[in-house]
Amino acid sequence: MTDPIQLDAAATTPLDARVLEAMLPWFTERAANASTRSGPGARARAALEEARERVARACGARASGVVFTSGATEANNLALLGAARARAKHGRRVLVGSSEHACVRECALALGREGFVVDWLALDTGGLCDLERAAELLREDTVLVAQMLVHNESGAVHPVRELARLVRSRAPRAHLHVDAVQALGKLELSLLSLGADSLALSAHKLHGPQGAGALVLSGERPLAPITFGGGQERGLRPGTENLAAIVGFGLAAELAERERPRFSAAAERWRADFLAGLAALGGWRVLEPQVRVPAILGLVAPEPASEIRRNHLEARGILTGAGSACQATKANLSPSLAALGLDEASIRRFLRLSLSRESVACDPGVVVEALRAVDTELARPARSAR
Amino acid sequence: MSEAEPTLGAPERVVVRYGELALKGGNRVDFERALVRNLKDALKRIAPVVIERQRGRLLVTPEARAEEIAERAARVFGVKSVSPAWGCPSDPEAIARLARAVFLDALAQLPRGVEPSMRVRSNRADKRFPMTSIELDRYLGDRVLGGIDGVRVQMDEPAIELGVDVRMEGVSVFARRIAGPGGLPVGTQGRGLCLLSGGIDSPVAAWMSMKRGLAMSFIGFHSWPYIGEASKQKVITLARSLCEWQSRARLYIVPFAPIQLAIRDRAPASYRTILYRRMMQRIASRISERDGQDVLVTGESLGQVASQTLDNLRCIELAASRSVLRPLVALDKEEIIAIARRIGTFEISNVQEPDCCTVFLPEHPVIRGVPSECERFESELDVEGLVSTAIAEVEILRIER
Repeated sequence: MTDPIQLDAAATTPLDARVLEAMLPWFTERAANASTRSGPGARARAALEEARERVARACGARASGVVFTSGATEANNLALLGAARARAKHGRRVLVGSSEHACVRECALALGREGFVVDWLALDTGGLCDLERAAELLREDTVLVAQMLVHNESGAVHPVRELARLVRSRAPRAHLHVDAVQALGKLELSLLSLGADSLALSAHKLHGPQGAGALVLSGERPLAPITFGGGQERGLRPGTENLAAIVGFGLAAELAERERPRFSAAAERWRADFLAGLAALGGWRVLEPQVRVPAILGLVAPEPASEIRRNHLEARGILTGAGSACQATKANLSPSLAALGLDEASIRRFLRLSLSRESVACDPGVVVEALRAVDTELARPARSAR
Repeated sequence: MSEAEPTLGAPERVVVRYGELALKGGNRVDFERALVRNLKDALKRIAPVVIERQRGRLLVTPEARAEEIAERAARVFGVKSVSPAWGCPSDPEAIARLARAVFLDALAQLPRGVEPSMRVRSNRADKRFPMTSIELDRYLGDRVLGGIDGVRVQMDEPAIELGVDVRMEGVSVFARRIAGPGGLPVGTQGRGLCLLSGGIDSPVAAWMSMKRGLAMSFIGFHSWPYIGEASKQKVITLARSLCEWQSRARLYIVPFAPIQLAIRDRAPASYRTILYRRMMQRIASRISERDGQDVLVTGESLGQVASQTLDNLRCIELAASRSVLRPLVALDKEEIIAIARRIGTFEISNVQEPDCCTVFLPEHPVIRGVPSECERFESELDVEGLVSTAIAEVEILRIER
């Protein structure tokens, strides 16, 4: 069997060969603890700082603001818990996007248990975060706002720059955190230009290794640490640094940014060709947020539940992302998809295609043909009950 | 405590007692051999061990990690109880010194609020030893408690029961007994083939049959691509988990979608579930005849779901050419869940993964299936062709732990 076509890049992407090559010496002949003062330690420290600069450049931030973490979940935890706790003296309200990733939503719920009042920011009819509603909800005592930039299921690009302006005027004490996991490499990402206080990033969404990510801070507002130890990463993420993975992350971020224009153009073409083919199939619905990146495509498929379709596509060598397991209870269905305005039946039939630099080279016609074949296979009539 | 009290290191050996098999007369030697073999298999991943057969018990001497060896041995079928122990020469003075150290160690670990009480229970199998068991109990009681206030000697349910085994090979002293699972050594009653779904019941059925001495193989039916890889991995994880009790097993994964499609497309919806299960029985029977499993085991429980009424169980078992054991037949769901929790399969089973795709499930399954109806519907299917194709494409996994 040939290699499968990976159309689930929003879940993870294959490691870039150049990244792997850059990482390897740091597992073996150059391995060292970057906190030691030996020659190898000092060289590891220098490599770490180089990676920090690369990540900072890729997202329009200062190197001193980059705090390496194990990934975006840890970065989001540090941002939400760390910012809210550090600012609790100014107020105890937080405003969180309703279609955020689980690691952001769960942090907000944890803050709720600590006594913070959580306001949820809904989406407007165009699938973007509702700025009018945000203006109503932001208050003097709002100390934290969390809103993702690119949505992982619809590809929507939320108006974070506009939101930042509202936050500055209406809630001047608030820390604005942006989960930018799906943004880096897909649009021009700049912490400075967004006017936010922090960004969360993850390496393995950009052809980098799993186990590395970052919280990138603008440096305006202090955070309360959530883990304690030997003072690494400005005391915000103590523990011996994951050296090889961080080196890989640095290069992956640089490559993602360098190859972004070409990737975006290719993804736009892929999307257009694919949608043209899909239109002929019938029974499919495409989520089209007002502003979106081309590389993430949310679809509502015909019956039955999308997990069955996802398996059938996998059997034909095409890996896609399904929203929910077939037997998911109503409570387990993706709240993000509900926030996008999908009803329960549509959420059960939600299918996501997401492109990486590698899979954007595949023929969209082949994917459409596979979808057509699976549609036919699944539409086979059963003998009716008697 | 005076400065001269001996200090006690970690346990050095493990006394393993077995129950039922001691009663089995002529078979006893075979049973003991099987138990020793199973113990060695289970323990070798922790540390190399020497196992000596003594009358009515086994003495396990590991190179290291005796506590873990004891915990692990307590999860081998046929074992009644296990004690981490210390050894000394067969001499009253040496025994008294060791017994006191073991007692003080146990006393120090007694939870606050438990009134300290003790008894000595010695077992003198070496008749050359200069004292009888009763004399030794008394002697040790005095020596162990000498100079210690506030500990009562209590015959019934003492807080600490100090055990002393006097054998020709040496003496073992212990203060802890870990209950084993009982049952019979795996393999002594033959081989079984358990139909394993991803659910809560079938792993319990397998475990209960293994406990009665069956060496188990497993068979799972996987309707890829209607059911995802995660469901298959769940069955593999369950089989792995059950291998905690028999070290290794064979797992057959049968591709089942073609059969479910054929039944769905040809047979009335209300009979689908019964017909799926009849096909499973046929395939499992055929494989067991080929590979030498003596009996099929299922997790069916009377009346639990629509396919498990008396009529439907009858329809299903008629398709089997092997005897079918249903150890859960008379258990309530709560009782099954309690066992699943105890043996560690509940957490695995409880992860929501479908074992039958929604497109194959009937809305209204028949409650009182009729065998002749099953046969009539199957006459429209190429039963033999479907069964042999499935068997030809079965995937065999060897699970070890």
